[in-house]
Amino acid sequence: MEIPQTRDDDWSQLLVRVGKNEDRAAFERLFRHFAPLIKGFHYSRNTQAFCAEAADELVQEVMIRVWRKAPTFDPSRASANTWVYTIMRNCRIDMLRRNNRRQDSDSSDVDVDDIWDDTADTQPLLFLQRSRGEQEIAEGLASLPPEQSHVLEKAYMEGKSHSEISAELGLPLGTVKSRVRLALKKLQARLSK
Amino acid sequence: MIRHHPDNNMLLEYAAGSLPWALSLAVSAHLQLCPQCRQQRENLDRIGGALLCDSAPQSVDTAAFDQLMGRIEHEDQQEASSGEAAPAKPRPVYSSDPVLADLPKVIRKLVTSTGPLKWRRVSSALRTSRLNTGQDRYEVAFQRICRGGKVAEHDHRGREVTVVLYGSFSDSEGVYRRGDFLLREPGDVHRPIATQDQECLCLSVVEAPVKVTGLLGWLINPFLSFRPA
Repeated sequence: MEIPQTRDDDWSQLLVRVGKNEDRAAFERLFRHFAPLIKGFHYSRNTQAFCAEAADELVQEVMIRVWRKAPTFDPSRASANTWVYTIMRNCRIDMLRRNNRRQDSDSSDVDVDDIWDDTADTQPLLFLQRSRGEQEIAEGLASLPPEQSHVLEKAYMEGKSHSEISAELGLPLGTVKSRVRLALKKLQARLSK
Repeated sequence: MIRHHPDNNMLLEYAAGSLPWALSLAVSAHLQLCPQCRQQRENLDRIGGALLCDSAPQSVDTAAFDQLMGRIEHEDQQEASSGEAAPAKPRPVYSSDPVLADLPKVIRKLVTSTGPLKWRRVSSALRTSRLNTGQDRYEVAFQRICRGGKVAEHDHRGREVTVVLYGSFSDSEGVYRRGDFLLREPGDVHRPIATQDQECLCLSVVEAPVKVTGLLGWLINPFLSFRPA
């Protein structure tokens, strides 16, 4: 495996090349890197939400959007990892919605990118801290007590709500909530150090 | 100054994508008005990025990349052959109403998508208009309290989220201004009063009642059980 820091930077540069020049070679490298991670994010655990086929379908959906949206990627605002994560999350919401949508339900023009929208923000003063933040959060996650990182993984990777996690682990809802809050507090403390 | 925010648990569910659609819509409206929570959202997204980066890779079919490029080319060709599909201009359905003039982007789109608003009078102080979000787990509506209007004391049978979009209102616990995000649990009792200087507009997202009956459920919403004042 590569060293995280340089790796992070490389992927962002590749994304910029895809966005500016529709660079297929750069996109292929991104695909070879991110596709297995996207699949692993959803499929390596025993999640019911995504079987192997659904995970493969999700990979295709996410990477197509990465190609289409690459021109909007701004490396001063987010790392490639975080940017791909937000695209992947939105894809997943879309896929689950499509599967659950009732036939007779009124449709609405409001789509997932309207609700999970981060294009409106411009906060130049915070940019400097951003790349440091990525690193700090990754290290912070690794040092969390297992019961705290476990609920975060369930929330993000399995897409479970707090009450679903509480039911699954047989824990009171308040316990799940406080584990999440404690984990965030620790991560936040690292960011503001 | 926004003083009431969604808690970290709700923001995390939003960032992880597990918060129900209608509640996410309310969080999104708040985020568009609240720089502080936007920053928190960025941190929560970065957790997702870090978890993605650390995932155990699972092998993907070697043909997958070529498949993907094939799909992209196919879509490009279709788009080229169908000509430039001019995006439909959003219909300005509410431009004459000052209360609706400066809404967060996501709410503007919701209003445009809903079509002309039909305001229904709940009491002399309160009017409400339902918004179409394409889901029925939560009832999403505008609530509009007239200047200085006093809304009857009521409690909430389901969870309710309120985001103040214009003007302000108060109850026994405080004053709520544009951008403020309030979560009320079943059983909370309150009596909102709009401030004297202007009307107040709120976005309200209420957990759908355990169907009384479809129509009646809506008719008695948003104030599900009135208490004699």
